[in-house]
Amino acid sequence: MVELALLTWTFLWLSLLCVGGGLGVIPEMERQAVTVHGWLTAREFVDGYTLTQLTPGPNMLIAVFVGYRAHGGLGALLAGLAMFLPTSILAIVISHHWQQWRTRRWAATAERALIPVGVGLMAGGVYTLARTAIHDGVTLALAGVTALAVATDRVPPVLAVLAAGALGWLLMS
Amino acid sequence: MKRVSLLRLIAVFTWTGLSSLGGGRSAYFHDALVRRRGWIRNEEFVQDFALSQVLPGPNFSNLAVALGYRLSGLAGGVWGLLAIVLPGALILLGVATLYLHGAFGPAATLLMRGFSAAVVGLVLVTTLRIVRGSLRAGRGILVAALTFLAVGPLRLPTVGVVLVMAAVSLALHWIAPAPTPGKARPGEIC
Repeated sequence: MVELALLTWTFLWLSLLCVGGGLGVIPEMERQAVTVHGWLTAREFVDGYTLTQLTPGPNMLIAVFVGYRAHGGLGALLAGLAMFLPTSILAIVISHHWQQWRTRRWAATAERALIPVGVGLMAGGVYTLARTAIHDGVTLALAGVTALAVATDRVPPVLAVLAAGALGWLLMS
Repeated sequence: MKRVSLLRLIAVFTWTGLSSLGGGRSAYFHDALVRRRGWIRNEEFVQDFALSQVLPGPNFSNLAVALGYRLSGLAGGVWGLLAIVLPGALILLGVATLYLHGAFGPAATLLMRGFSAAVVGLVLVTTLRIVRGSLRAGRGILVAALTFLAVGPLRLPTVGVVLVMAAVSLALHWIAPAPTPGKARPGEIC
């Protein structure tokens, strides 16, 4: 009981640390889950993060993985709720008021001012992904081929990514 | 304020959640809601994207909540969240059960490398489209470029960068408001 409450509390405050993409919270989450609480081994944590990349949905489903490893189905449920529920309620509240405020000058200014910051963060995300994912000629070619396919607008993105991923598997193995 | 029916929203968000493999997931939302269906204007998408990055919490679920709320109000926000989180969570639980019973080899790692390389190509195209559609003024380009440099190559902490760059951008936009505030041309998609 105490253990479950501790698990829930830990992922609750970790969820508040996820600003600008989930990757930034990973070091602290690893420290809490592996070193402080011993819910899983470091190897399991790394593999769990890889699995969240391989499976659909948000990367922060890593919370569900850790909760599942630590306390089974109930642990998965509580860790997932702690990670997604409170911050989503906050997002709804802010979105709601934003629609009402947006006619005022300060809000209209804020809205326009946030756009270039968001675009810059997105570009930074591309850079961060590329730094890890592009490490040789094959991965560079895969990214290039996918970009060209997506740019034609004739291939659904998921098909382009799946095809390139399978091609990469053949080339690298 | 309701733009699409709840069922359509749930179907599209579920599919977007299921088809978003390998990182850079907001790109799939942009393709599904802005490019393909025109439910959301490019500028609105970038605003929700920025909001989802600034607010605490996993940004993909924040984005789903903000976009869902924009499309179908409160119910849209709630169902948008469930539609992108639940299917992936169930699949992950299935895969995790296999993994924890030792049913995994190095093949999965290789496949993931291929996926993540391909995803870089996808997010690059999406980002370029968004840049082209949303940055027209010099100050916007300046703020975007500095933000990129800070969080990308310089690897500065995102929270601090967002706080500083948002303040800089607010000051720049407050001093000289745009002549037509926040108005996008109807046909403007990226």
